[in-house]
Amino acid sequence: MAELQHRSFSLGRIAALTGNTFTELVRLKVFYFLLIFALLLIGNSLFMARLSFQQEFQVLKDVSLGAMSIFTSLLAIVATAQLLPRDLEDRTIYTILAKPVPRYEYLIGKLAGVLLLLGLSILAMSALFLALLFVREQMLMSETLRETAGLRPEQVQAAIRSLEESAFNANLLPGIVIIYLKAALLAALTLFISTFASSNIFTIVVMVFIYFIGHLQATAREYWLQEHGGGWLAKTFLALVALAFPDLQLFNLVDDIVAGTAIPPGLFAQTAVLGCVYTSVYLFFAWVSFHGKAL
Amino acid sequence: MIRGVIIGALLLLFGGLRLPIESSLTEQHRSAYFHQARLGLDLREQIGQLGFLAALSGFRSLVADVVFIQAHVAWERTEWGRVLLLFRQATTLQPRSVLFWDMAAWHMAWNASVAALHDEALPNDLVRRKAQREYIDLGKDFLERGIKNNPDRPQLYESLARLYKEKLQNHAAAATCYARAAALPGAAEYDNRFAAYELSFAPGHEREAYEALRRLYDLGEHERLPTLLTRLKFLEEKLGIPLYERIPDKEK
Amino acid sequence: MTEPAVTVQNLTKVFPIPFRRTKLVAVRGLNLEVAPGQVYGLLGPNGSGKSTTLKIILGLVTASAGTTKIFGRDSREVGSREAVGFLPENPYFYKYLTGAETLRFYGKLCGLRGKKLQARTDELLALVSLEEASDRRLGGYSKGMLQRIGLAQALIQEPKLVVLDEPTAGVDPAGSREIRDLILDLKRRGITVLLSSHLLAQVQEICDRVGILANGVLVREGRVEDLLAIENQTELILENATPEVLGQISALLDQTKTRLVEQRRPQTTLEGLFLEATKTSPAPRDS
Repeated sequence: MAELQHRSFSLGRIAALTGNTFTELVRLKVFYFLLIFALLLIGNSLFMARLSFQQEFQVLKDVSLGAMSIFTSLLAIVATAQLLPRDLEDRTIYTILAKPVPRYEYLIGKLAGVLLLLGLSILAMSALFLALLFVREQMLMSETLRETAGLRPEQVQAAIRSLEESAFNANLLPGIVIIYLKAALLAALTLFISTFASSNIFTIVVMVFIYFIGHLQATAREYWLQEHGGGWLAKTFLALVALAFPDLQLFNLVDDIVAGTAIPPGLFAQTAVLGCVYTSVYLFFAWVSFHGKAL
Repeated sequence: MIRGVIIGALLLLFGGLRLPIESSLTEQHRSAYFHQARLGLDLREQIGQLGFLAALSGFRSLVADVVFIQAHVAWERTEWGRVLLLFRQATTLQPRSVLFWDMAAWHMAWNASVAALHDEALPNDLVRRKAQREYIDLGKDFLERGIKNNPDRPQLYESLARLYKEKLQNHAAAATCYARAAALPGAAEYDNRFAAYELSFAPGHEREAYEALRRLYDLGEHERLPTLLTRLKFLEEKLGIPLYERIPDKEK
Repeated sequence: MTEPAVTVQNLTKVFPIPFRRTKLVAVRGLNLEVAPGQVYGLLGPNGSGKSTTLKIILGLVTASAGTTKIFGRDSREVGSREAVGFLPENPYFYKYLTGAETLRFYGKLCGLRGKKLQARTDELLALVSLEEASDRRLGGYSKGMLQRIGLAQALIQEPKLVVLDEPTAGVDPAGSREIRDLILDLKRRGITVLLSSHLLAQVQEICDRVGILANGVLVREGRVEDLLAIENQTELILENATPEVLGQISALLDQTKTRLVEQRRPQTTLEGLFLEATKTSPAPRDS
């Protein structure tokens, strides 16, 4: 056994760690609590507005996507925050790292487990959401056809087109991908924080703080770069916010997508790449903090 | 300790590296009409701390929907002042929703204005007409601001054209709005036709209108709708178009 | 010359205490060597630096100074852990996994796959007598069972060295006897064992060699018999000795000016007594 050359990177080991982390997280009560809450919200969005169909679809989309966003973000933070403390407390981390497992593989496996869970959750929520959208569209479609019976074909066409436009919109899919990437970023950042945090509560509190500041980062950055005057103290503060916090506002695209704004493929790709870069860099930071840590 | 310093330095370095990228990406998002909302402190006072926080942290659209539904309820109770205030909030929160601007303008220019005209609480007709006119202007203002936020979409131009036509009887302005709408992607196919119709009602634009209608007529059978024919004939008479240039008389 | 299983040279570990200017020295200039095939016991009271030393050998903690090696490979290399299995003190493992799943998980971490992994899992479950509990979640395991599944986990990749941190702590005497038997079994199969304990009596019969740590310093080191033997004393145990024989012996002692230090009836140890009692009426265990 020992004669075998040790491989410094093994997908097999990472897969084992990922699978185990996933199993661990699926057993979390908070996962079901959040998932059921999100699914209920998406299901209920159907009955929230009794207005025009445009408004109905807008509310349905806003509520569903809002539920997906809050669910994935919260789950990313809460689930990731307890991974390391729990392994340390139960000493399982000793048995894992006493095997020929490099610490970066351990971290990658943990993060990948969270990302797998988030991915499957968002797929489930998207499926429900799109199914609702489709069913509601079909219902309204037959209603519209009944109401417009006898009108000229081009008017019927216009009515149907307007209905289709306000229901499903292909731009929603890149929007959902961006929601997922935002959650991935948050998970990687949480993992990083948890490598030096004293408890998972500390990590969660810090992350909630980062979540809010991160949404204001762009504003701070603009004030800092625009030479608005102000004392050096204010400048330093703004610079710190801009440099140390992620720009989460860049990952909030669904709001405007629901309102009908189209996202050009190039822009979507750039935003998605930025999300992946953030996730990888925070994972790297987690490793820098963790690789020499005394356990 | 040393590791903490290294991590801090790396964090700032990463911040420095992504700074230009994020600035440019934010710019690109904005030019693709994302992140248009400007959420000021006055809005925070209106929608409350919690709503403001939610709006800032990724739930802007959702807060806007809630405000919109409140506006709808206020409309059902015909509380016009409240309808105006809530629509201002909703459109500030989500300036990319054409629906919000359109509904806001419709409630002001069509519903509130008519209600004002029949408002027994107002002392006399003069005041009522003044109030009516003010509501119409408020509607127009919503549409104009909506267009500023959505110059890439035809719907609000169409609504503004309708407002000019029906509420202000300004057919020339209505024609301009229809023509602008027609030039945008996703415009209704009748926009060009309506632009020409409106022009035909605008005094002083007869020649222009005639040419526009004639161009449409020449496009083929599908454009030769009854209204178009009527308006074209009316202008042919009015402008004294030579008989051989006139369109054939089907009925006669 | 054979490569030592474990080499520790000039090992020092200092833990800085946050927000204070003082530091905690856990291990100070430690040197030791474990020969292959040996059972080596690292003894000492709680807080003497035993666990820290083991963790440094396993690469879980980095040394402040000095080096540790496993079969000649530096502990800081991840590859050095190919050859070692570790059982931490009071291990928990993942409660939601069954015994078999736990072994499969650790097997995968060691690069085992498919049939080989399955065969190894079955073999180890048999070795630690947990075949019947293999499909039960670890959440329902007793302390002794956890210790045994922990040992099986440590052995999954057939390591040449097994490191056990307080393997008998918190386990009842019967369970601890089983673990000692398992250790002796490992020794028979040529596996080197390095264990730590604060209970000298429990390890004296299985260790070939022991080192005694106190406050991070190795105070005694050597073969167990050598350490326990008091060189200028001899113990005689007689059976059916008549008073006459005893009288003659004491006369002889007087004659030769030999001092009798102690005369007593031999006793079994308390532990032995307990074992004897539990063997006759098998108590319900591990459930």
